[in-house]
Amino acid sequence: MNRNYIYLTILMFILAVGTLVIKKANEPKQIEPQQLLFELIQPTRYVSTDQVAKMIIKNDPSLEIIDVRSAMEFNRFSLPRSVNVPLDSLLNNTSSYLGIAGTKVVFVSDNDIAADQAWVITKRLGVKSTYVMKGGLNQWMETIIDPKQPDPTEPYTAFETYAFRQGAQLYFTGSKAEAMESSKIKVEVQRKKKSGGASGGC
Amino acid sequence: MGPLFPNGIITGEWDFVIALLLGIIFGFVLEASGFSSSRNITGVFYGYNFVVIRVFFTAVIVAMVGMLYFDYFGWLDLSKIFILPTFLSPMILGGVIMGVGFIMGGFCPGTSFTAIAIGKLDGLVFAIGLFLGIFVFSLSFPLFENFFVSGNMGNVTLTDVTGISAAWFAMAFTVVALAAFWGTSIIEKKIRKNMTEHTF
Repeated sequence: MNRNYIYLTILMFILAVGTLVIKKANEPKQIEPQQLLFELIQPTRYVSTDQVAKMIIKNDPSLEIIDVRSAMEFNRFSLPRSVNVPLDSLLNNTSSYLGIAGTKVVFVSDNDIAADQAWVITKRLGVKSTYVMKGGLNQWMETIIDPKQPDPTEPYTAFETYAFRQGAQLYFTGSKAEAMESSKIKVEVQRKKKSGGASGGC
Repeated sequence: MGPLFPNGIITGEWDFVIALLLGIIFGFVLEASGFSSSRNITGVFYGYNFVVIRVFFTAVIVAMVGMLYFDYFGWLDLSKIFILPTFLSPMILGGVIMGVGFIMGGFCPGTSFTAIAIGKLDGLVFAIGLFLGIFVFSLSFPLFENFFVSGNMGNVTLTDVTGISAAWFAMAFTVVALAAFWGTSIIEKKIRKNMTEHTF
């Protein structure tokens, strides 16, 4: 028998045995790249700090805040009701926090870069209703903890927002709202002097 | 990367071009393997020529094992390839009819055309009969329709049905094929005294 047939037989057998050895890395199921790109360019994934604050104050049960900073940073300061899942261990804990029907997951980090990364990772895995807090905790500090008074020329809605933020500041920090300056003015009751006796007249 | 069509790497307009190229290659391989001779083909049923088994087994194990490696290297996503739906009982009956036709006619549809290409009259008659059969079947289709669509199991694979992984099937099939390859060679040698051994 031709020797080449023997070689080919051995080669084929080795290759076939090789298929038993090769194991595809257990890759998680992912959404289509087109779908991901489509979702990526939608600004709808962002929620503002005001919206988050409103939901916390109203104690909205559907809100689930996931803080993707490190545990150390989380211990130093964190939003109320938020859970800490650092970005690098996000994939280890996905099953317990993500994909719960009826919840809105909001990712929070110092700015929105790490939160956006968390959003992309979970979106690729097909997790629904995940959001990113726009501007992150920096924005939170600027808007909720230390709100700036709007210019007098700004539209009415800016003042409404400011009013809400002042209330939210009170809620989250517990500090007393700055008393309005007008309330400091002492109102003196001017009494009419009693007229003493008749003064001329008819 | 692959499969090329579902991933949009090749668009549908290329269907006919690719079909033509693949057809030419397929026809060439059939002819080169000696499949245009009905003696070679029916020999497997009479036990003196097993070239059909060897060629088809070689094609099957190379494709089987090759696709598993392609999947591993990321060149082909096996979860996306088209799997022909299984209609169990119609397929068994169809296989029996095909086998009977194979022995009686000495060709399968593809090989009859390679036989025509090298000028064989029996191949031509076979092909005419083939089209007559298709014509008659089409006209009488309403009679068979219920049976034709019965026993639909969907796009299942052996792994779906048995739970045994594709690699084990490929492995087992390769062992069987290689055994058949050597076994049939020994049988052929004993039966055919004047056999010319092919070399490459």
